[in-house]
Amino acid sequence: MPKSQFSDPKELRNPGWIKFTDIPVNQYNKTVAEVKQIFTKDDFLRIYHDMAVIREFETMLNEIKTKSVYNGVEYNNPGPAHLSLGQEASAVGQAYCLGIEDFIFGSHRSHGEILAKGLSAIDKLEEKELDDIMREFFGGVILKVVEGKEEIKGDIKDLAKDFLLYGALAEIFARTTGFNKGLGGSMHAFFTPFGIYPNNAIVGGAAPVALGAALFKRINKKPGIIVANIGDGSLGCGPVWEAINMASMDQIRQLWDSEHNGGLPILFNIFNNQYGMGGQTRGETMGYDMLARIGAGINPEQMHSERVDGYNPLAVIDAVSRQKEILLNGKGPALLDVVTYRVTGHSPSDSSTYRSAEEIDAWKNEDVLQSFSKKLISIKICKQSDIDNIHAVITSRMTKICKLAIDDNISPRMDLSKDPNAISGIMFSNGGAKHPPSADGTLFTKEGGDEISPDVLIKKEENPRVKQLSTKERYAFDQDGKPVPKAKQFGLRDGLFEAILDKFYEDPTLIAYGEDNRDWGGAFAVYRGLTESIPYHRFFNSPISEAAIVGSAVGYAMCGGRVIAELMYADFIGRAGDEIFNQVSKWQSMSAGILNMPVIVRVSVGSKYGAQHSQDWTALTAHIPGLKVVFPSTPYDAKGLMNSALNGTDPVIFFESQRIYDIGEQFHKGGVPPSDEYYEVKIGEPDIKRQGTDVTILTIGAVLYRAVEAAKILEEKYSISAEIIDTRSLVPFDYNLVIESVKKTGKIIIVGDACERNSFMKELAANITELCFDYLDAPPVAVGSKNWITPAYELEKYFFPQPEWIIDAIHQKIMPIKDYIPTTDMTEVSKINDMKNGV
Amino acid sequence: MAEAVIMPRQGQSVESCLVTAINKRKGDNVNIGDILFSYETDKSSFDEEAKTTGVVLALFAEDGDDINCLETVMIIGRDGEDISGILPQKPVEAVIDYPQIPVSDVVAATPFQNGAYTNTESDEIKISPRAKNYAGQAKIDLAKVIPTGPNGRIIERDIIEAVNNGYRLYNNETLPGGYAVSPLVNEGGSELNQSPSLAREVSRSDGGSINDYTDVKLSNIRKIIAKSMHASLSETAQLTLNSSFDASIILNFRKRLKDLLPSDSRNAEGGVSYENITINDIILYATAKTLKNHKDANAHYLGDIGVIRYFESVNLGVAVDTERGLVVPTIFNADKLSLNELARQSKNIIKEAQSGSIDPDKLKGGTFTVTNLGSLGVESFTPVINPPQTCILGVNNITRRIKQVNNNQDIFYDCMGLSLTFDHRALDGAPAARFLKELCANLENFDLLLAK
Repeated sequence: MPKSQFSDPKELRNPGWIKFTDIPVNQYNKTVAEVKQIFTKDDFLRIYHDMAVIREFETMLNEIKTKSVYNGVEYNNPGPAHLSLGQEASAVGQAYCLGIEDFIFGSHRSHGEILAKGLSAIDKLEEKELDDIMREFFGGVILKVVEGKEEIKGDIKDLAKDFLLYGALAEIFARTTGFNKGLGGSMHAFFTPFGIYPNNAIVGGAAPVALGAALFKRINKKPGIIVANIGDGSLGCGPVWEAINMASMDQIRQLWDSEHNGGLPILFNIFNNQYGMGGQTRGETMGYDMLARIGAGINPEQMHSERVDGYNPLAVIDAVSRQKEILLNGKGPALLDVVTYRVTGHSPSDSSTYRSAEEIDAWKNEDVLQSFSKKLISIKICKQSDIDNIHAVITSRMTKICKLAIDDNISPRMDLSKDPNAISGIMFSNGGAKHPPSADGTLFTKEGGDEISPDVLIKKEENPRVKQLSTKERYAFDQDGKPVPKAKQFGLRDGLFEAILDKFYEDPTLIAYGEDNRDWGGAFAVYRGLTESIPYHRFFNSPISEAAIVGSAVGYAMCGGRVIAELMYADFIGRAGDEIFNQVSKWQSMSAGILNMPVIVRVSVGSKYGAQHSQDWTALTAHIPGLKVVFPSTPYDAKGLMNSALNGTDPVIFFESQRIYDIGEQFHKGGVPPSDEYYEVKIGEPDIKRQGTDVTILTIGAVLYRAVEAAKILEEKYSISAEIIDTRSLVPFDYNLVIESVKKTGKIIIVGDACERNSFMKELAANITELCFDYLDAPPVAVGSKNWITPAYELEKYFFPQPEWIIDAIHQKIMPIKDYIPTTDMTEVSKINDMKNGV
Repeated sequence: MAEAVIMPRQGQSVESCLVTAINKRKGDNVNIGDILFSYETDKSSFDEEAKTTGVVLALFAEDGDDINCLETVMIIGRDGEDISGILPQKPVEAVIDYPQIPVSDVVAATPFQNGAYTNTESDEIKISPRAKNYAGQAKIDLAKVIPTGPNGRIIERDIIEAVNNGYRLYNNETLPGGYAVSPLVNEGGSELNQSPSLAREVSRSDGGSINDYTDVKLSNIRKIIAKSMHASLSETAQLTLNSSFDASIILNFRKRLKDLLPSDSRNAEGGVSYENITINDIILYATAKTLKNHKDANAHYLGDIGVIRYFESVNLGVAVDTERGLVVPTIFNADKLSLNELARQSKNIIKEAQSGSIDPDKLKGGTFTVTNLGSLGVESFTPVINPPQTCILGVNNITRRIKQVNNNQDIFYDCMGLSLTFDHRALDGAPAARFLKELCANLENFDLLLAK
């Protein structure tokens, strides 16, 4: 809460009433005849045509899925096909209103949306632009397949239709000539040059991602709106509510500066097809009765919520047009409850046990293609023969596209035997750039080539914290080797701050947000002083919505921006589970390398705060392919790794530890380089913190300092010389340094604060065993926390690894030490018992 | 269908058999009942008869080869038949295949005869990969290594310890003679003083009840001694011969030297400085000289590689009771030293052994060991051999005895006992007795021995 906003008890305690305004329900009542003046004949026929394309496309897939043949073309498609038969009007009506600069995000059931938006874009783009897009995309690989085979020879727009249908179908059939080289597939296909952004196979997954895209548009002053196409089933998902709420947060209108304020340009467009898989939303799994009602609970504008008849393309066009205007006027967000119906099952294997044939037939009787064509004929817009002709061309086109897409020579699959790195090679973009590459190339330059300078409030050197840090000692020891007083030391949090502040002054797209970031300075004071330099729209407090924080960062990065998202405690990773595990980690791969994902997710490992605020979950994130994971434990490494992460284009889960935010640099000779000397610590490189010869101690995070204590005891009492290596990064990780150390010592113990079972220590131990087997004098030993809850602070020494535990492990598992009496029981018997008991 | 003819196992304890004659060779026709080859165990000879008709397609042994039981000796079948499926598989499990040893296809099916370490206990030894590699490079006999790792695992430091203790199987680089050494010797009687630094005491007390006791953890040296002594007694065929001699001459000789010896003579410059020559030095001297005539007793029995190694020089091991436990330093080339020189060296190494400052190289290389319990009043005992040495001499105390001299007169004399333990695998009773007899004679006529 900023000080400028006063929580007035008098006002807050006053009696009164919340008043709602009526929410329109299917209020569109114009006939086709009545809008004859608004739409041309071509418009009407195009609307019909686009709906018919979707109908045929989905019918084709249905035939192939259920009968393995379409129009004489035989094919077996084992992959998914969530069809949108019955939802054609709601997709086409929406797309009709959207420009190229308007982005749609969809779901697993978005074939129709892709085609509708694509056809709309083809209609709106100049021929030259279309030609360029097709020629440039993947070097013209897709164009090459369809070029010269168009239905109307020499017609670029006709060719573009083939291009769109083929690119989408080849993607669905997992061909390298698909829009995403077959790595996205049916549920994730997209094509950004037409404003079609990633579709999401996680129900509601698109909502927070779309929110991020809307933030991108607003913060970087880009034209266009964002549409989150989600289903009624997704209204049961927390992240969707988080996104809707965060999109509506007051600060954007009340606190962001005049150039950036106003409601976010995002339409939560809910295709309300009545079912979430088999669960009937109205009457069974929800309580809203009419979906449009939910807008009333979000903000005073009720999100401009409306219910619209999704079986009438003209009603949809009317509603979306009005919502778009609201959004462009800075009055967003908006919500539409588009009533529609999925006449086929959730997927072809769905036998519709949860609904009656009567119900399906009733909706089929309302079929939009039939009713719309009848109306067009009745008011003499066209003849039946025009309609028949449209269908004939579409069928011909679809048959042709289908043949091309199943041809293994024309449309090959990835050859992973010839190129085993085809997928792994695009998992990370490994870019190193001042700012992320932008989709349109104009983001960072004004006309004339001048670079856009980042929005800041004061000069960097005027920043109060910068001034304060200039007086600090950047090495923990003075010339005589004596420790500098703690208050004088340049701490780990200062290293993070410097790197982040520098980047804010360099990359205009960089934004940072999370809980209590701004005035509070971040819960652990890393951001203290940032508020003075960085304006609201680049640095703000989010609601307590971890899913929306990370999910929106994904959408922001997808559009070409850079984000530092902060989750406060690492324990809150669970709250952003899908966004970390399925979204930020996967989009570089699923886009076949088209998208970059320069997102840093800062998480902090706690202590003293018990079971839900003290967990090191490095292993959870390191398990997920596509994430880089780092955990620095010194100021030098923290700043260097943050610089690397900030200069990269990959998602980095940045672990920090609350135990050591104030620790000075004790290892790097000369300390942390002066603030004007840029340096990076390469992600993936461990570092020797102490040289030794007898045993290697490999540490993850803050446990480094306990390892140093253990090494001192080993040296002084038992004449054992320990080498300490700090992992610094977990993914990627270069094992060479560790291998060299193990060759020397033959013994290694891996220590971290995570619960030991399935920890990253275990991963390291397994790999070291594999890589160093012949050099090992004992199996690598992992020493982690106990496999129980973190107890109260006073009992933590029984939970987190202590220096003595390290020596105990060496004594009991690696090399018994003369005269040593262990403090813990690490015998095999006790281990077997623990495991037997699930401990 | 070709058949492999294997070396039969003649009884559970037989590991291998010696091929005495190959009667059928590659290309020979074979009929049922033909003698294919003859072989013998340590107890009997056998003929292997053909149980099939055909041609010898392959032969894997020659006369005189020692073939492991159940290994293929030859393959019999029809001419041109594919026998690849029944060719012997290599290598034999009991052979540890160190990378330095070239393995040709021919020898792969048979145990290495030279230089290879054959560990028949490989299943029982727990050893880390690192220690195993190091042991391979250093050619360490794993059976003699004392494990100090968790759960009885041999770890790197155990191999380092073994190297320092000279437990090498075969090493012609560090020792001039090219002989195997294994110096930890022993006799069975000496009490070891446990140093507190080597042992962790666990005391249990139930308030003064009869169950009071103290557990003292085994020290490394105790473990080494335990293992070595047990191995000696369980793996060799040792027995002890007791004899005695009239010590009058050596006692007089010693007395005379002592009387001559000024207290500071050892520091005298110019003329000869005499050592304080002890009875033990005299016995060491006589032993070294006598051994020159008894090569059986100055030898190593190396059963693993099928040889007895006789030494030209006498390297005397001297058992020394120290604070840390029994230590056996070596006096090299003792047979070539004067009594005075021998005494000097003996004093030096005993001092070094007791102070713990001794060069590890001086703890190995012994060919014969002398152990003396006489000063502690022992009249007779059975010293335990330190393999692969073949003998150890125990020196007993001096007692007054009566003997008849020429004129049938009974006289008292000073009698000193000697107990010689020898390994019957390496030498028989008579040669051992002859050595002991000559030693006694040389000691009784020590003045004459000095004159030689």
